[in-house]
Amino acid sequence: MSSLYLRRRITNWLAMGLSMLATLVGLAFLAWILWETLRQGIAALQPSLFTKITAYGADGGLANAMVGSLVINFIGIAIATPIGVLAGAWLAEYANRTTLGESIRFLNDILLSAPSIVIGLFVYTIVVLPTTALTHGSTTFSGFAGGIALALIALPVIVRTTDEMLRLVPSTLREAALSLGVPQWKLTLQILIRAARSGIITGVLLALARISGETAPLLFTAFGNNYMAINPINKMSSLPQIIYQYANDPGDAMHSMAWAGAFVVTMFVLLLSLASRLVLSRNKVSHE
Amino acid sequence: MNDSAATMNQGPVATTQAVTSAGAPKLTVRDLHFYYNGFHALKGISMDIPEKKVTAIIGPSGCGKSTLLRIFNRIYAIYPKLEAKGEIVLDGENILDPRYSMNRLRSKVGMVFQKPVPFPMTIFENVAYGIRHHEKLSKADMTVRVEQALRSAALWDEVKDKLKQNALGLSGGQQQRLCIARAIALKPEVLLLDEPTSALDPIATGRIEQLVEELKNEFTIVIVTHNMQQAARCSDQTAFMYLGELIEFSGTEQIFTKPGKKQTEDYITGRFG
Repeated sequence: MSSLYLRRRITNWLAMGLSMLATLVGLAFLAWILWETLRQGIAALQPSLFTKITAYGADGGLANAMVGSLVINFIGIAIATPIGVLAGAWLAEYANRTTLGESIRFLNDILLSAPSIVIGLFVYTIVVLPTTALTHGSTTFSGFAGGIALALIALPVIVRTTDEMLRLVPSTLREAALSLGVPQWKLTLQILIRAARSGIITGVLLALARISGETAPLLFTAFGNNYMAINPINKMSSLPQIIYQYANDPGDAMHSMAWAGAFVVTMFVLLLSLASRLVLSRNKVSHE
Repeated sequence: MNDSAATMNQGPVATTQAVTSAGAPKLTVRDLHFYYNGFHALKGISMDIPEKKVTAIIGPSGCGKSTLLRIFNRIYAIYPKLEAKGEIVLDGENILDPRYSMNRLRSKVGMVFQKPVPFPMTIFENVAYGIRHHEKLSKADMTVRVEQALRSAALWDEVKDKLKQNALGLSGGQQQRLCIARAIALKPEVLLLDEPTSALDPIATGRIEQLVEELKNEFTIVIVTHNMQQAARCSDQTAFMYLGELIEFSGTEQIFTKPGKKQTEDYITGRFG
């Protein structure tokens, strides 16, 4: 009895110890990354980062990259959200448990894990190259092309979360609406999407967080621009692209600006995650 | 309670089940079979459901009582691989006929479910939503209709000052009465209640039962319940089902005082189920 008990206690301690160790290793790296970003980033923060453009190099700032990031991310989310939410709704409400639906769900998961450089090259081929032909050879890298590339990355995230959130809505809600004679499309658009609203918004925010850190898809699309560009028809700079560029520079001043950029992006993503948490917890009124 | 029931078997589709009618039948079920993905869940049900009375369906879990109820408005049809065979006649027309419009059927036959499921919108919108789909009403008319429905569901006094608030903030019992209001707002002829009080506390249950008593002046009510006292308290007719068959169907008083079948007696006295 007591030896059995002892053995179980030891096994328990062992299992718990290993789990805690694994958690610690994971958390330690996260903390380390955050710490370095905060330390180096905050040290490099100065007002000129937000007012000057990258054209001045080490004496400049990141204003055009920040504006570029905002515009490109906005375009990406604006394209991906309506398509993603409708596609997710179709998967959950019309194609659930059908072979076609399952196949599309699987393909969506593949798109979810597609290398982002491939997506950048894809958009380069289908958007940038053809429009370059139209403009008689002057290259047409643009904020739009960057936004389209980011939309392709955000899309599967939004499809997936919308699909999953809708499938969590209790089927009794569907039955209740259908038993009033309400057709499926009204049920989906007016009741179910509303019921799953907070989950869907969270998905969109997470997709936004995901694309705000993407560099590779922007290299061949938005390209970069050392001057302030607000109209996305132009080449555009973005924070991740500037971080990439400055980190490759031999100058220390450039490095610290890259750190400042990294700090801004990290804070943005952190705030988005917090916001999505907030949205979820504020709408906790459920049907239970 | 009406127990002047005449027991009779129906002509060509006669089965072994007793079929009882009291007053004019609103819904006539004839030789109804139901299959869940091949599983034979209802085996030749025939019964007449009287107009403007409360008909209770009782029986142990899995006997098919909810299944039967869910055929009356064809809500089962939203799931694949379910099949109903036979006839259910409502006002002279077979509602199982695929040509019978689902929209029309569901405006005539309303349903309230086990768990209260308010829509994620305001209290007012919850009631107005269904009406708006079937009728074009002016704003003033809509306000009147919503108030009427909430009054009929004995909810008006509790919500009249917060019609613009989210319905999910109401208590469980209030939510269930809101669901009843939503169903009767369409002015259906038949009201189906699928264990409407199983998620509610005794006080909320009492209010719903009282409401059922009042609503039967206007609607034909069919209520599925696993609570025998509830069937005894608020129904005029009671059907006892077991393993997909209708064992006995007669006046509630008769079922609970002198049941005609041994199985009914065993169930009512608690020997199984």
